[in-house]
Amino acid sequence: MNSIEKKLWNYIDGTLPAAEQQAIALLIEQDEMYRSKYNELLQFNQEFANMDLDEPAMAFTYKVMETIRTENAMKPLKAAIDKRIIMAITGFFVLTIAALLIYALSSVNWAAGNSFEMPQQLITGATDANHYFKGPVVKAFLFFDLVMGLFLLDNYLRRKTVAKRP
Amino acid sequence: MQSKLSDIELIQQTLNGNQSAYADLVKRHQRFVFTLALRFAKSREDAEEIAQDCFIKAYRSLNTFQQQSKFSTWLYSIVYTTAMTFLRKKRVSTSSIDDDESYIQIAGKPSGYDEYNVEHKSRSYYLNQAIQQLLPDDATIITLFYKGEQSLEEIAQALGMEANTVKVKLFRARQRLKEKLERNLKNEVNELI
Repeated sequence: MNSIEKKLWNYIDGTLPAAEQQAIALLIEQDEMYRSKYNELLQFNQEFANMDLDEPAMAFTYKVMETIRTENAMKPLKAAIDKRIIMAITGFFVLTIAALLIYALSSVNWAAGNSFEMPQQLITGATDANHYFKGPVVKAFLFFDLVMGLFLLDNYLRRKTVAKRP
Repeated sequence: MQSKLSDIELIQQTLNGNQSAYADLVKRHQRFVFTLALRFAKSREDAEEIAQDCFIKAYRSLNTFQQQSKFSTWLYSIVYTTAMTFLRKKRVSTSSIDDDESYIQIAGKPSGYDEYNVEHKSRSYYLNQAIQQLLPDDATIITLFYKGEQSLEEIAQALGMEANTVKVKLFRARQRLKEKLERNLKNEVNELI
């Protein structure tokens, strides 16, 4: 009986190969037992398909969206920054430093023996750079850097203290 | 009124920062997710907690949904794992409840023969009663198959099983449901006599 029911359920679901599907259809037509079982299962199938879905509380969607809104509001700014921006800045600095190093190393006079000679252009450039580090704008820039550095250091130390707290 | 946009379009809008699109998605799927959760939790409060948790988890990982399956299939897999975790945490017995005394009614307060006679109780009442008496796995497979518009393959994907296993489980679940439904109806008739 179990195997008949299995076949009939598969027939109702339409999961049998075409040949078997036809064979079962023929059995239902000709065999009284198959027919009555098929009708019984068909009725159950109809009932199962008509089962009711339960409804959650009226405020369900509101509660979900409220939780999401609260979570988003609590998200730190760090997480909201697009990582691609950080990657682009990192890439810029890495490339600049790499280019400078390659240029410097390729211009070094390796044949000079024990004494290490930097290329003349770089030395001249460095001397010329001193000229730019004298104006009030540069001083203001350095001061700003110093303040920012202290601010970040303070932030870092605070975070460490908070993390250590039980 | 619910949005006429497809699930995928609503997901795209949500990912672009439109939270009301996600609210539409929740409204569209909440009844089914809640019903599935009820198959495990057996109490409305717990089921709401599970369902809520599922939608929040889905929102958090919406950008990982690769659209290779239906959104509903992906969402039901979240429901299944969340409900299983919930069961483990709560240590709720997942054994079949054969004792009518311990049956927890979901739809309204228990109603005995004194208040209603069998004619007033619809067949769907008995069906719901029988579903509640099934194992959570059986009840879930039947609900997914009949109400979730999911194929056997999609159910298998949602539950992390082989399609053939689901086919066998569906057959067994239907047999058990049929037996319980018949028994409940028989008991009701006996009470009347």
